[in-house]
This record gives sequence, structure tokens and C-alpha cells, in this order.
Amino acid sequence: MSCSPFDLKEYFLRELPSPQRFQVEAHVKTCPPCREELERLQLTEAALFSLRDEEIPQRIAFVSDPIFEPSPLRRWFSGFWGSTARLGFASAAMLSASVLYFAATRPAPAPDRTAAPTMAAVSPSPKEIQQQIQQAVSKAVAQLEARQVETNRQLVADFERRSNEELRSIRWAIGQSDLDRKRAQVSKAMAMYVQPGESGEVK
Amino acid sequence: MIFRAVEDADLIRQATRGNVESFNLLVSRWEKRVYNYLLRITANREDALDLTQDAFLKAYQNLRKLDDPSRFAPWLYRIAHNEAYSMFRKRRPESDVDEIEPEATETQITVGGSSIFPIELSLAVAGALDRLTVEQREAVVLKIYQGFKFEEMSEILSCPVSTIKSRLYTALELLKTELAPMKARGLS
Repeated sequence: MSCSPFDLKEYFLRELPSPQRFQVEAHVKTCPPCREELERLQLTEAALFSLRDEEIPQRIAFVSDPIFEPSPLRRWFSGFWGSTARLGFASAAMLSASVLYFAATRPAPAPDRTAAPTMAAVSPSPKEIQQQIQQAVSKAVAQLEARQVETNRQLVADFERRSNEELRSIRWAIGQSDLDRKRAQVSKAMAMYVQPGESGEVK
Repeated sequence: MIFRAVEDADLIRQATRGNVESFNLLVSRWEKRVYNYLLRITANREDALDLTQDAFLKAYQNLRKLDDPSRFAPWLYRIAHNEAYSMFRKRRPESDVDEIEPEATETQITVGGSSIFPIELSLAVAGALDRLTVEQREAVVLKIYQGFKFEEMSEILSCPVSTIKSRLYTALELLKTELAPMKARGLS
């Protein structure tokens, strides 16, 4: 266990900032166990460096072959998709273009026909207003008269129909009473033909 | 290092405009490092070369997706890491990647340091690295050999810095126990 103010391995691996390095160096000078530990680490590092880097057996190089090279269009496309800012800008531009297109091609809204008389009524002169009122009144009166004539016509038709029905029933009733009267006369006449013996009244 | 980063960024910008030669220059700068990274985690030269080629091809195809050209190195190593783990899964789909052990014949992968260091030490280092899990070995390779910061390693390996530290510290303890005494004997 090291008594160093900072991690001795971090010092050895050059991960400590300068002020802390100085503190560790000062401590190591006065602490034999920490100095020995540091020396062992340095010996280990020296031993590891006995294993030298090898040269690569075969150099690597790329050739500019148009078959393997991405086409300018593809390069642009991949660059475009790789950039969030470009993609966002393109999306915004497309949205703006579509809004403009719809604004330019959409037909104008139809005029509000119910509002037109109201708008027209605001500007005309009092004379015109009077004329329009008279026209409206005469139109309303004509409509009312027409309705009244129609109602009268219906009432007359109903009355005639009812009168005919009553007349027909009266005629039927008169016919019925005539028939009864004739029946009574016939009965009476038949009774006068009956013989006296048969009646038992004369002896 | 700053000038180098700026130049890489320029090359990346030119390559994204379709300049293949700029990408080839970029490849020539990074191919050895990527190859050795893949060699350390696969412990197989052929696999490492194939994976390096695949990684650079994918990098070329996806270069336009790299938002920040200054993050090219972690991005490239992330592709290489994914390629390597994809190969591990294809070869042993039913087993955990942690259990994948390098081929026994690959223990002697490198003797390049024999002119300065004893060959036994190189073999011991290779053996000690082989005994680590794939994750521990990868953490050591990215930190010690490739010099990435913890944040960059987190980006490459797609895991938290705490996990990276845990793997690396465990690996360092194992390597220290095995290699430090040997190195001390070699120096004395």
C-alpha cells in the first residue's frame, strides 16, 4: 500500500497534472517504500520496451479507382444525409416551398352572398332605401294575398264538398221516407182484401 | 506533436474531398502503430496485417463521419479494436473473448530488441503479456506502447475510465511481479 499523496501508478503513467506530480516527486525522495515501488514500475516499463515495434510486412496504399470511388452525386448525397444542419435546412426549405405553392395555386374563396345585400345597404341613398323598402313591402303583400287566395279557394272547395255530401244524405233520407210510406199503403190495401168470416168479427 | 495533429487534420480534410493521396499519407503515418497494436492483441502477424488493412479501409469509407479531425487517433484505434474483436467473435463465437489465448507458436513474435536487450528478456515479456487477459493486454498496449490518455482509452474501448484503470493496474501488478526482478538482474 502506497503512502504517496497521490496515486503512484497515475504518476508513473503520466496522468497526474504538474502540481500533483511535483508533490509525488517530493514525497518519493523522502519515502523509501514508495521510491522502491516506483523503481519496480519503471523496471517493468523498461522490460516491456524490450519488445520493439515491428515493421509492417506490407505497406498499405489506396488507389484512386473510379470503380471504387463514390460518384460525386453519391458523395454529395452521403454528405447531405450525414449533416443534420443541411437536412434541417432542406426540410424547412421544402416546407416553405409547399406553403408558397399552395398559396399560389389555391382558388380564391367564393364571395359571401348573404353578406352582399348588407354591404350594399350600407352605401345607398335614402331614396333607394325607401324604394327597396317599398319593393319589399309590396312583395310581402303580394305573397300574403296569394296565400289568402289559396286559403279561400281551399275553404270554398271544402264547403262545396261538404254541401254536396249533406245534400246527398238528405236526398237519401227523403227517398227512404217515401219508401216507408208506400210500404204502409200497400199493407193497408192488403188488409182490406181479407174476408169477414175469416176475420171472425161478423156473425 | 501539435504540428503533427494539425497536419493530420489537414490531410483528413483533403481526404474527405476525395484526395486519395492525402489519405495514403495519413496511412503511412499510422500503419506501423496500428499494425503493432493489433499484433500485440492478436499475437499473429497475418491477422494483424489483415485487420490493419480492414481498419484503414473502414476508416477511408467512414472518414466523413469523423466530426473532429483532432480525434482521429482514438477514432482509428476504435475501428481497429472493433475489427479485432469482430474477428475474435467469428472464430470463437461461443466462448468469451477473455478466454481467447494467443497461439503457442506466437510466443516468439518479436526478437527485434536483441541488439540492445537480451533475447531472453524479450521472450519473457512476450510470455508475460500472453498470460494477461485480452482486455488487460490491450490496456497495457494502448497505455505503455501507444501512449494514449485514460480518456482516449475509454473512447477506444468504449468503457469507463475506472474500468480502464482497474484492468491496467491489475496487469501492471502481474507484469511487475514477473518482469521487474528479471530486468533488475539484466541491469546488474
